[in-house]
Amino acid sequence: MKPDVKLVLLGDMNVGKTSLLHRYTERKFTNTISTIGGAFFLKQWGPHNISIWDTAGREQFHGLGSMYCRGADAVILTYDVTNWQSLAELEDRFLAVTDTAKPDCIFAIVGNKADLTDDCALFKEAEGDESPVQTKGSPRLRKQVHTEDAVALYKRILKYKMLEEKDCLPAEKMCFETSAKTGYNVDTLFESLFDMVVPVILKNRNEGFSQTVDLTEYNDGKRTRPGCCV
Amino acid sequence: MSVKAFELVPAVERALLMGDKARINIECIECCGKNLYVGTNDCFIYHFLLEEKTTSKEKLTFSVQKQQHKYLGLKKPVSELKAASALNRLIVLCDNTIMLVNMLNLDPVQSGAKIKGVVTFTVNENPVNGDPFSVELGVISVKRRTIQIYMVYEDRVQIVKELATPEQPSAVCLDGYFLCLALTTQYIIVNYSTGASQDLFPFDTEEKKPIVKRIGREEFLLAGPGGLGMFATAAGISQRAPVHWSENVIGAAICFPYVVALDEGFVTVHSMLDQQLKQTLPFRDGHIMQDFEGKVILATMKEVYVLVPLPLERQLLDLLASQRVEEAIVLVEGAQRNIPKEKFLVMYRRILQQAGFIQFGQLQFLEAKDSFSKGQLDARELISLYPLLLPSTSTFTRSHPPLHEFADLNHLTQGDQEKITKCKRFLINYLKEIRSTEVANGYKEDVDTALLKLYAEADHESLLDLLVSENFCLLVDSAPWLEKHKNLFIVCSDILTGKIKDTNLNLECAILYGKLEEHDKALHILVHQLKDFQAAEDYCLWNSEGRDLSYRQRLFHMLLAVYMDPAVANDTLVMAAVDLLNTNAEVFDAVRVLRLVPGNWSIQLLCPFLRGAMRENMHSKRMSQVALGLAKSENAIYKHEKLKYKGLINLSEKKGCQLCHNTFSEPECVCYPNGILVHIHCAAKRNRDSASKQHFTNPSNHT
Repeated sequence: MKPDVKLVLLGDMNVGKTSLLHRYTERKFTNTISTIGGAFFLKQWGPHNISIWDTAGREQFHGLGSMYCRGADAVILTYDVTNWQSLAELEDRFLAVTDTAKPDCIFAIVGNKADLTDDCALFKEAEGDESPVQTKGSPRLRKQVHTEDAVALYKRILKYKMLEEKDCLPAEKMCFETSAKTGYNVDTLFESLFDMVVPVILKNRNEGFSQTVDLTEYNDGKRTRPGCCV
Repeated sequence: MSVKAFELVPAVERALLMGDKARINIECIECCGKNLYVGTNDCFIYHFLLEEKTTSKEKLTFSVQKQQHKYLGLKKPVSELKAASALNRLIVLCDNTIMLVNMLNLDPVQSGAKIKGVVTFTVNENPVNGDPFSVELGVISVKRRTIQIYMVYEDRVQIVKELATPEQPSAVCLDGYFLCLALTTQYIIVNYSTGASQDLFPFDTEEKKPIVKRIGREEFLLAGPGGLGMFATAAGISQRAPVHWSENVIGAAICFPYVVALDEGFVTVHSMLDQQLKQTLPFRDGHIMQDFEGKVILATMKEVYVLVPLPLERQLLDLLASQRVEEAIVLVEGAQRNIPKEKFLVMYRRILQQAGFIQFGQLQFLEAKDSFSKGQLDARELISLYPLLLPSTSTFTRSHPPLHEFADLNHLTQGDQEKITKCKRFLINYLKEIRSTEVANGYKEDVDTALLKLYAEADHESLLDLLVSENFCLLVDSAPWLEKHKNLFIVCSDILTGKIKDTNLNLECAILYGKLEEHDKALHILVHQLKDFQAAEDYCLWNSEGRDLSYRQRLFHMLLAVYMDPAVANDTLVMAAVDLLNTNAEVFDAVRVLRLVPGNWSIQLLCPFLRGAMRENMHSKRMSQVALGLAKSENAIYKHEKLKYKGLINLSEKKGCQLCHNTFSEPECVCYPNGILVHIHCAAKRNRDSASKQHFTNPSNHT
């Protein structure tokens, strides 16, 4: 089965990339160990096979990032809301890695571990009646990265890619705060990205098809021009 | 974690090579069919015949016969050996020089063909050039930062390409035009035909020995940072997650679906399907690991071993025996492309069925149901676990070898009543779902009777539904159960037995006729004596079950004839005939029916029949149009294929369009399957015209 969409998770070690993917695919939060090298997951989304690459955040494996990102349709840049440095790393270390992604690759910026700083993230999305997920022992931490910071980074990324803001998906739609622990916003993140990326690949595919000449639909250039007698 | 996927079997023992000469070591090995070659550090090549033997206890051993050994006379180690069996040559790298020797007697070729200044080389196993009597080599030259491509023939060599690399290469692999190279600081892929180069990832080859290994069409396996085995395609993309080796991996090989690697103390086996470590075999002092046509061979300095894969069936059984259902399914699915389809399906279904029983034993009912239905389980295997559910008349015996280890439900649940109830509830749901599907064909009695018994026992509300609907419950077996579980549903029992008493004899008779295929007589009894029109209709349905449509049509026409028999005509029968036609319109041959019905019947009366018949005819017409369309498109695909093989089309200003006879001014044109070139607009026009004329004339007749 050849995947037709490629999505890559990038970000510093310990921000929760594997946990996010786990929460989405396994519907639970498990203590994951530090990812070695990279891992790969296939998701059926309607008629499409989406491959999701979970990369290793450790410096040791940094060199593999460009290869993993080659041909990517979407990149999720992940940081930890309680750790300012993890956002800074995205720009310093990971942005250049995405140079190998497709030219029309879409970017999402995701602040994980929101349950540690925001009360609303104690609930799983769309299941408001559920009692707060047990987070005893995790004291409130100071939120070091705010959504505005992520939005600002998103805009800098567009600049880096030399893209006009008006031609791109708006920052508000591309910056998420999630909690892999409680499940907060995790489905929304992945599924809205899938919904955004599928039209892009379909468009590319259709452009590929336009090289076919359909004789039954073929119209001579001259014929289509409105003539004076019409 | 562990599965036994491989066994290490000794092949060439120390005594056959250097005996007790301590300073003599194995430098390289090559295996080609049964021929095993060993190159040593004292410039000898040994040739052995390696033969597999299976002992009585199914233990695999190798018998090794020494054929030859030859001193190359250079006092230098033989560093690499590659067999080119089509040329009957062994390609030998010794003292930075590639030479060719005869594969059998190890004599150097007369011509003395050589390639000098070689650090290391690789053979292209997937060359673009299809000449079977040549071998393409990728060579790392002693010249700094240079790669060369050579063609090797029986007794000559020819350089075809030389290209410079940005850094010094240290390892190389070739596939098609793609060179996968380990440079000083990174791996790259270079297309030697176009010169295009693609960075893969950084790797410090001065600090660690690189591994570059072709694993299939345009895909390579590379040693990565942190002991990773990285997969990369020629396009520079990773399509599989990496496997995790130890930091000091020495060699790697592929034996689908496994990646095996050698380090200082162990052979590790990872699955390419789920990247998990599957097996670890202790192996000391190993220094060579290579795969040759699917055979993995290892060597220490003194001895040679073969890593023998265990048969897939064995591995699957091992996995299932340790209840590792998911891994077993992944393994068998992964093997699909390597075994014939028929064999695969049989194996796949069996594994799924066995997996289903393991899941069932763990009371994972959702998973079990999924496995059973994917594995197309004979439901009786499951029913037979429940004591007394199969009818006494059932001829079923469990498959052998058994699909599971359970004697029955009591054994499986250890008598736990709660679990038994859960299992019964599962069976009810399972049977309910499959009873009307294809899986139940051939043993509907067993399925329905078991379901009836379960319903009766559980006081299930669906019991009545089952009984009043079309079912295949066996009366002999069902009635006692209904009585035994005296409850509300005693009524049902009455329904059944009552029906039996009155009608017993005639029914038996009809059934007997049915068995004799004397349907005419059977239908006659059902219609005229029992006056059970529904039964007559049902009779036609189940007697044509599993037969083709024309058989069913024959029965229905027969029944219609019985109803409309002019000798016994009455209103009830006429109404029965009308009902039959109206409710089964699609079965009848409408034309025949229309000839048969009396002229005085109103259209109104037969309206449902006519509508149904029209719809059916419409449907079959459209279905054949679809089939026609599909066949046409298939035809077009073949034509396209055929055209592709025809090769080049020449178009010049001198050539004219065969339709309008004007010349071509643009490169775009339409080429008909017979090779005729026309303008696109001419073809489009012609297409429109011929569509309106509904026929196609060969454009070559046009002139």
